[in-house]
Amino acid sequence: MTHAGRMAVTGFALRTPLGDDPAAVLRKLLAGERAAAPNAHFDASTYACRLAATIPGAPRPTKHRKFVKRMGLFGMEVGAEALARSGAPATGARLGLFCGYGGLRAHWDDLMPVLERQAGDERATGAWAQGFSLLHPFWMLFHLSNNAHALLSIDVGGKGDGTTTAGSNAGAQALSAAIVALAMERVDAALVFAYDSLVEPETILSLGMSGAATQANTPAAIVAPYDERAAGIVPGEAAAALVLERPEDAGKRAISFVSAAATADGAVDFPSPRAIASLAANLSAGDTIVDGAALASPARDAAERAALADVLGPSATLLALTASTGQLGGATAVVQAILLAEALRTGALPPIAGLDRPAEGPLRPLLRAEETRARSALALSAGMPGLAGALRVEVP
Amino acid sequence: MGARRAVITGVGAVSAFGVGYEALANGLAAGRSAVGPIRSFDARTFPTRVAGEVPIEKTDALFLEKHRGVLLHVGEAGTWEESGLLRDRKVCFGLVAAAEAWRHARCGTAERKAALSVGLGLEQAFLEDLAEQIDGDEIRVGAGNLSGGEGVRFRSRVDITAEKIRAVVGISGRVAVHASACAAGGMAVAHAASLIERGAVDVVLCGAADSMVNPLGIGGMSRLGAPSPRAEASACRPFDRRRDGLVVGEGAAMFVVEEESRARARGAEPLAVIAGFATTQDAYRATAPRPDGSRALAAMERAVRRANLTPADIGYVNAHGTGTPLNDPAEAKAIRALFGDVPTSSIKGAVGHLMAAAGAIELAACLLAFTRDLLPGTAHFEEPDPECPIHVIGPRPLAKRVDHVLSNSFGFGGQNVSVVLGRPG
Repeated sequence: MTHAGRMAVTGFALRTPLGDDPAAVLRKLLAGERAAAPNAHFDASTYACRLAATIPGAPRPTKHRKFVKRMGLFGMEVGAEALARSGAPATGARLGLFCGYGGLRAHWDDLMPVLERQAGDERATGAWAQGFSLLHPFWMLFHLSNNAHALLSIDVGGKGDGTTTAGSNAGAQALSAAIVALAMERVDAALVFAYDSLVEPETILSLGMSGAATQANTPAAIVAPYDERAAGIVPGEAAAALVLERPEDAGKRAISFVSAAATADGAVDFPSPRAIASLAANLSAGDTIVDGAALASPARDAAERAALADVLGPSATLLALTASTGQLGGATAVVQAILLAEALRTGALPPIAGLDRPAEGPLRPLLRAEETRARSALALSAGMPGLAGALRVEVP
Repeated sequence: MGARRAVITGVGAVSAFGVGYEALANGLAAGRSAVGPIRSFDARTFPTRVAGEVPIEKTDALFLEKHRGVLLHVGEAGTWEESGLLRDRKVCFGLVAAAEAWRHARCGTAERKAALSVGLGLEQAFLEDLAEQIDGDEIRVGAGNLSGGEGVRFRSRVDITAEKIRAVVGISGRVAVHASACAAGGMAVAHAASLIERGAVDVVLCGAADSMVNPLGIGGMSRLGAPSPRAEASACRPFDRRRDGLVVGEGAAMFVVEEESRARARGAEPLAVIAGFATTQDAYRATAPRPDGSRALAAMERAVRRANLTPADIGYVNAHGTGTPLNDPAEAKAIRALFGDVPTSSIKGAVGHLMAAAGAIELAACLLAFTRDLLPGTAHFEEPDPECPIHVIGPRPLAKRVDHVLSNSFGFGGQNVSVVLGRPG
């Protein structure tokens, strides 16, 4: 578990399946909207999981398209936007850049020509001429884990500390690393950005086969997390960015405050609810609202609620933003930081979209939007293998 | 630095010199180069036909059983092999190096809560997996046609190595996966030291593993034009006037890093102190380092300062030294500006560029300075380059006692990390 203090958020931006304006996204959340729809990226009609929550539209045209693919471009967009909005005076060596990215993918569209031309060449004597020579010269750069980070550092002139973390809790890892760098005064502002998409063929295949993803045929048939009939997540995708500064430096520019933690418990699939709850325990300061990991499995949901009840008490309010947005992989924590702060500022908590038969158990899964005067909330996320993230969001 | 110091108490390595840290140390101490023709696949038609390849043609359960050094559940390695996990060479190299480091440090149940900080390279896309999905012009999908077992992605996802290291070694602490390309290994070790210094944990298993010695890796690098066009064992010549590119390597290095007083209390013998570290970014170009080396210099300067040292205290610099036309002059300028005539070398001519694992294997090489009073040489360095005006150690190691060394790793797009190691007191 990593946790090092509380930092001010002075800028943010996001791209989610529900839109890219936090206020507009919150309105959709409050209305109980869900972004799930038939997979918009590819024909998934033969897959076990056929629904997905995808970001509408495409990244803006940019010269970086030759190095970075779609999700990385979204990540770069939100990073630049967040920094521009922050008013952070730090530049150059005092500006750090921390990236969380979910994972690389096998880009089938690039590889198909390589494979097709080699058909029948069992001895691979033409492996180069008929195949690999067809790879795009920048194929390797497309697949680099830190390509978006590197190019964004150039665009924004960030020359200070920086790292790229990976995995399904990468956003929480990146937040945690940025907070440490600020606390140790290695940088004066930290741009944290995270991006991930679970809406890729191989990921959808795996999630579908394992039963972790919904097999509903229509969006209306999806059962919400924490429902007694919950039957899997909706794969989603997002990119989001925050600018963090020390509270004393941010002053009145502070939009919200965040502390973060990440851990792993060694599980092969999702982390244990106890591991998730222990993160919450380390961050909690009398909080009564929690955005749950929302894995949409009756057994996991129940265990998570029981574990969280030990930390927050049995009557804490339970949200599930990802019931609306879809599960967002390594981007989850940063998206949560933005949307929860928006909800707290507005004084309205969104319901768990589609929840109509909450399973018995502790905590209070929110069925309808309700007003709140709370100024803080916890948020949890979980992914394979055994990776968990947590953050605490507070508004002034 | 605070009162808590991070020390290295165990090391494990897999490199072109073979399996085990001693193979690496002995190879470097002898001034040998292990770069040679690629054997693990037929690379005859590729522009790049040499690599710093681990002399193991196949990674499988047998390899793991032979080298892991810690107890797996009966049949577990076989299960992993059947599911295809072990075909990813970096997974196996990481497991073996981690087990060696754990054994070397004589860690036991008292260290089971150790954290893991690991740098990893690209996810591996297995061509055979992909080929199996193709049916004519279509990609076969769906449960009935899926031949990939767990699925392509989940067999090769970027953090699978971390997951299996935890399983093999049996540790339960937090996990951090670093993906800063060629800086990932150095970042992982720096992160481990940071955790120790801040008191977040007492023991960290850290390091990196990577392999791009496969058709996609070599093919992709060849298309990029980064490797030397010469298919010779001497293809990579860091800092040499005739240098013309890198050589792809593969392998892993892992370390047990502990809080010093704890390590000494349990009788562990520190191999080195992680005295300082720092990261910076070039913010210059995607495919070229900042020519003046100023941000690399900043990383080195900050790492030295963090160690409460002065540049004059550094007795050896282990350079990133890729052997490419652009990297070496920029790095040399930075080294010259900060350290003057300090002895410097790059081991990439001997073992190749281990990509994400480069920083880790090079820190392992740095341990020679304290364990054998030897500074590793620069294989195939013959003709000094006026553009690289530093004291480059030649192919043979330099016998010299030094108390502090610094190792550089620079990732794609200018992610820089410098780590300072000190002789244990």
